[in-house]
Amino acid sequence: MALFFQRLVDGMSYGSVYALIALGLVIVYRGTGHLNFAQGEMALFCAYFVYQFGEWRIPVWPAMFLGMGVGFLLGSATEVALVRPISKRSPFAVFIVTIGLFTFLNWLDGAIWGNQQLPNSGVGSKQLSYPSLFPNDPQDQWLPFGVSIRYERVGILVLVLVLTGLLFLLFNKTKFGLSMRAVASNAESAKLAGIRTNRVLMMSWGLAAAIGALGGVVQAGLNGNVNLGLMFTVFIYGSAAATLGGFDSPGGAVIGGLMIGVIENLASGYLPKWVGQEMKLGVAFVVILAVLLVKPSGLFGTAKVERV
Amino acid sequence: MKSLVSIREGGLASWALRLVAAAFVIGLVFWVPTSAGAGLISTAIEALTLMSAAMALNLILGYTGQISIGHSAFLGIGAYTTGIFVSRWGFSPWLTFPIAFLIAFVVGVIVSFPASRIKGVYLALVTLALGLVFPQLLTWKKLSWLTGGGAGLPNKDSQLQTTGFNIGRKEGQMLHFEIFGWDPFGDLRRPDNKAAFWYWIAAGVAVIVYLVCRGVVKSRVGRSMVAIRDNETAAAVMGVNLVKTKAMVFGLSAGLCALPGCVVAIKIGSVSPEGITSLTVKGAITFLIVMVIGGAGSLWGPIIGAALYVFVTEKTGEWANDDAIPALIRPLFAWAKVPPGDGIFAVLLILLMFVAPRGIVGVWNQYSSRIVRVLPRPAGAVGPAPMATAAMFTVTDSEGEHE
Repeated sequence: MALFFQRLVDGMSYGSVYALIALGLVIVYRGTGHLNFAQGEMALFCAYFVYQFGEWRIPVWPAMFLGMGVGFLLGSATEVALVRPISKRSPFAVFIVTIGLFTFLNWLDGAIWGNQQLPNSGVGSKQLSYPSLFPNDPQDQWLPFGVSIRYERVGILVLVLVLTGLLFLLFNKTKFGLSMRAVASNAESAKLAGIRTNRVLMMSWGLAAAIGALGGVVQAGLNGNVNLGLMFTVFIYGSAAATLGGFDSPGGAVIGGLMIGVIENLASGYLPKWVGQEMKLGVAFVVILAVLLVKPSGLFGTAKVERV
Repeated sequence: MKSLVSIREGGLASWALRLVAAAFVIGLVFWVPTSAGAGLISTAIEALTLMSAAMALNLILGYTGQISIGHSAFLGIGAYTTGIFVSRWGFSPWLTFPIAFLIAFVVGVIVSFPASRIKGVYLALVTLALGLVFPQLLTWKKLSWLTGGGAGLPNKDSQLQTTGFNIGRKEGQMLHFEIFGWDPFGDLRRPDNKAAFWYWIAAGVAVIVYLVCRGVVKSRVGRSMVAIRDNETAAAVMGVNLVKTKAMVFGLSAGLCALPGCVVAIKIGSVSPEGITSLTVKGAITFLIVMVIGGAGSLWGPIIGAALYVFVTEKTGEWANDDAIPALIRPLFAWAKVPPGDGIFAVLLILLMFVAPRGIVGVWNQYSSRIVRVLPRPAGAVGPAPMATAAMFTVTDSEGEHE
């Protein structure tokens, strides 16, 4: 039972990262109907920036906000310069552009910071490990009933829940949130009603990338270092979370992310022979496939009615 | 659009053009192994395997419009089929080509059934997940009796210590490759001869893949594929069996993609998830990039894209070291800590999507017709079937959007 509880908490903290990536995917999807394949790589780019800020002796919390700012600029610039002009052509062209951005950002990370993992004393890093948002020394844990509950894990979970609450307020209680929902439901009518759809879309992409950036920083902190392959699998888990929760439901994305984290952690913990560390990704694959085949709108999404 | 010269398809001039183009391509294919050094031959093998994989992907993505970022898995199936059958059970590497094709074909057909319900970017997502899961599957404990786990094959249990041709002087080993007493390569233990041997295997695979793609695209099935790509509903109404066509194309594309995998296993002589980059998802993205840059939905697009990609990445491979960069453009690239190949192609991909979504072949079709224009034969006219190179010169409406 103690072990179960510990796996549950661990799963939820990893799930928090997936929830953040999924939130970014969902916000973009609601606004423009595109799946941003570069979401994970945008987050990685910002995570590298936070490492760099750490090298410049900026404390981790301000560094995180700066990293999210970088993400916001990157996301909104992507929407204005790449996605908006190309989306007139076809969804396929947008897909190709996001794949191009995926490759480009991954190359750029390597070009600027090299392809070794960071921090690395070999290249003269001043930091010993990637800056963590919460205390993560070995003794930073509660031990109720023999379960080890690390402050870091709980802190991340709380952070994600607070962020979700703030997003809920943003979507439902502010004028900007109202215009975002209007654009999501019908962009043409929203434009006629006087909403600056272009600005709303730009802000949505920026917001999505900023939230993803937080996910990247948290993931790198959990991992202890940042490297070029860090976000490949996280992106798949994040998309599995968005698929499970429904691609147009931000709340669903968070719940989906936590569920995916818990499912993969329990599966690899209780089925070490069948799942183990190697086939954790297989769990995400099965979830994506099963949801898309059985209930394509996900748990909390709205079913799309298509007229043939 | 006016053009300088107009010639008729099937006429003397158009045949002459085709002959010149064919002679150029064949000349290039023969020139590489005879006159080039071992380094260039090795690069050429890489280009040939990449273009075979990109051509296979083109069938499903360029012609049928079904996005796949998981074709690296099919290439991996090919590599591991050769690896397992040769090193564990002592099969001849030649035999593993049809076996790999069949296995990948079956897997492709199985993948096609969920794929026929999942559309657009969702399919991209599922195939991306497939591409990421595949290398993990190879390291799975439950399968390591077959795949050799993370270390790959051959391992201490295997019958042969190679996954390719067992070349050597000992009893039962191969020293020469003879076709009816003709020994074209000589002693295969010499690296140059061995490289030439592999080159011709890779070239043979590329030619077979090209001919199959060409045959399929110009057939009734090919027209069904394009109909599905352009408008699925309309295609179904016109009597195209969506499920059957998609299953067939998926299977064929997967089967063809496995063949370059066999070539890779033969060339490297061992298989492992880390040892072969093109069986990871990075490989699948490379197939996609070279195919789109060359020209999705055209027969020569993947070939040109793959050749360009391998040429550029090879030329710039040492550029992480600043002294290797030509002085003229050194300030442009000196800051980067990794070779600029992937960055260049990513930027090129995005730029092409803006200015020429049909890739290099699309640009060629658009501008070549200003100089030489081949007028298509009137519909219903009798005559020999048009040849491959004709596709390069035919005038197409390049303004239309095909996805």
